[in-house]
Amino acid sequence: MESSRGIPSLHHSIVPRVSKDPWLLAGAVLALVLAMAVLIGPYLTPYDPNDMAFQPLSPPSAAHWLGVNDGGMDILSELLYGLRNTVGFGLLTGIVALGLGVAAGLAAAWFGGPVDHITMRFADILLAVPAVMILILMAAFFRLSPVALALLLALLYWPTTAKGIRAQALVVKSRLHIYAARQMGGSGVYIIRHHLLPELFPLYLIGFATKARMAMFMEASLSFLGLFDPSRKSLGMMISYALKYYYLDVWWNWLLPPILCLTLLIMAVTLLVVSLEKVFNPRLKEA
Amino acid sequence: MRFIWPYLFAAAVMIYLSYSLPKMLPGDFVTAMYASSHVTLNAEQEAGLRASYTNQEGFRRYLIRLFTLDWGHSYAFHSPISDLILSALPWTLLLVGGAHVISMVMGFIAGVEAAWRRGGGMEKTSVGCMTVLEGVPEIATGVGLLLVFAMTLGWFPASGAVTAYARFTAAERLLDVAHHLTLPFCTLIAAYLPGNFLLTRGSMVMLLKEQFVQTARAKGLPPMRIRYAHAARNALLPMVTRFGLRFAFMVTGALVVETIYAYPGLGTLLFNAISMRDLPLIQSIVLVSSLMVLFVNLILEWTYGRIDSRVSHGI
Repeated sequence: MESSRGIPSLHHSIVPRVSKDPWLLAGAVLALVLAMAVLIGPYLTPYDPNDMAFQPLSPPSAAHWLGVNDGGMDILSELLYGLRNTVGFGLLTGIVALGLGVAAGLAAAWFGGPVDHITMRFADILLAVPAVMILILMAAFFRLSPVALALLLALLYWPTTAKGIRAQALVVKSRLHIYAARQMGGSGVYIIRHHLLPELFPLYLIGFATKARMAMFMEASLSFLGLFDPSRKSLGMMISYALKYYYLDVWWNWLLPPILCLTLLIMAVTLLVVSLEKVFNPRLKEA
Repeated sequence: MRFIWPYLFAAAVMIYLSYSLPKMLPGDFVTAMYASSHVTLNAEQEAGLRASYTNQEGFRRYLIRLFTLDWGHSYAFHSPISDLILSALPWTLLLVGGAHVISMVMGFIAGVEAAWRRGGGMEKTSVGCMTVLEGVPEIATGVGLLLVFAMTLGWFPASGAVTAYARFTAAERLLDVAHHLTLPFCTLIAAYLPGNFLLTRGSMVMLLKEQFVQTARAKGLPPMRIRYAHAARNALLPMVTRFGLRFAFMVTGALVVETIYAYPGLGTLLFNAISMRDLPLIQSIVLVSSLMVLFVNLILEWTYGRIDSRVSHGI
């Protein structure tokens, strides 16, 4: 019964429904503001985030809008660079995990048989492995770079997307127009590229946003725990350093900004995910 | 029994990684790691550490050491690793386990009730609040509660799990533990509750439209019975599935929350081990917590398989 339901098409039902959703609007506006901060952030501040030339722990002033931290670094510059790093980590993981998930899911659905079986059993194992533990282990032992960690996280996190894509691809595969395309001699590659890939598009948005959200959260937590190079600015690391001084009067200009930034970031992506999921079949998640 | 083997396989992978990774470390890593560490080793300790990392003991020997709790010695804390982990473990289980159970029960009941009252003002408000709360990471809730309730108002202690050196009766001690537990507990509940609520509500809204619910209503069954005995039990499966998927999130969040409140569990121990670059301790904590995560997931799926016959029949 559920299998007869497809994904709503982009122009006929998604755009009108989505544009009325206040959650999506809020998420999109937040995401836009943060994207601006990420893109033009470094031009907004005249200081190098690692420059330790200023009076430590000085309160906010015209020269340093958010004051200076205990190491004599300008907090606003730290914040903008940290936000960039956190977002970059999330986007990289999201894109790579999505690519792997789509490839694996489509291959499993299209070829079926042993390919399907092996891919899905492999996905089951990866789903069981607690990824954050492997990340902590690798970061602590080999001091991997953030890019390497993001890729590792993506390698561990594609299965959720792959399962969703596979389930929906199986539905699309059994539709009439795919039969027609096959009858007319369309090759597997042609059908995957021209039918399956574009028709599953809405799922990519959800998959990407979910992965990116998880990766940003993970980056903030790992840097909070001190697993990244200390000279690499990150929201989590700023919170961790500022937390040592929470009993001083500096919490509102040093501790609060990175927390607020991180919250807005996670909130923006969460609102996007929640409203996108509402539009598409709510049962897709279980597949 | 289909669902067991991925977990067994994943456990084997984790144990093997923990056995083989240290052997892959390049060069004289003992000198390299401990040069930048807060721990100073004397010659004997350094030799011991080097020996424990460079010895070519077989995997079987490693397994025996693993299961006899012979995990080596932490030079940062000057005690056996197994002692450190076993004394931290109960606190983590109390905090994280308790928060999970309560947030699952609360989220489930609230989700079922919200779906039942779909379209009402109460439902809309709660869905809105939960959606916003879902977007707030543990770091933010934790630090926020710490600043307000521990620092400004002073209602709850800012760190630790018990008052040190205090003489308490049993009842007072229990209250003291609860007092210390409150803030980290609320932080974790705030993190776990929205997901459980939104998911249960989502599946219940779908379920309430199904024909068997119509039948139950037509039979004139009391609403409580329709809600829970007929509809809600089918909303359990997505919750269990999701629990497994979200576990990485949850473990990470628990690590952070314990660190924020300096709660003496595994998370704080890991944080301290990382900041002192105590590799053997990091490795053991990671292995122990991974195995526990796998075990909990396994138990959960097994329990669910018992509740819902569709799972055990593989439908």
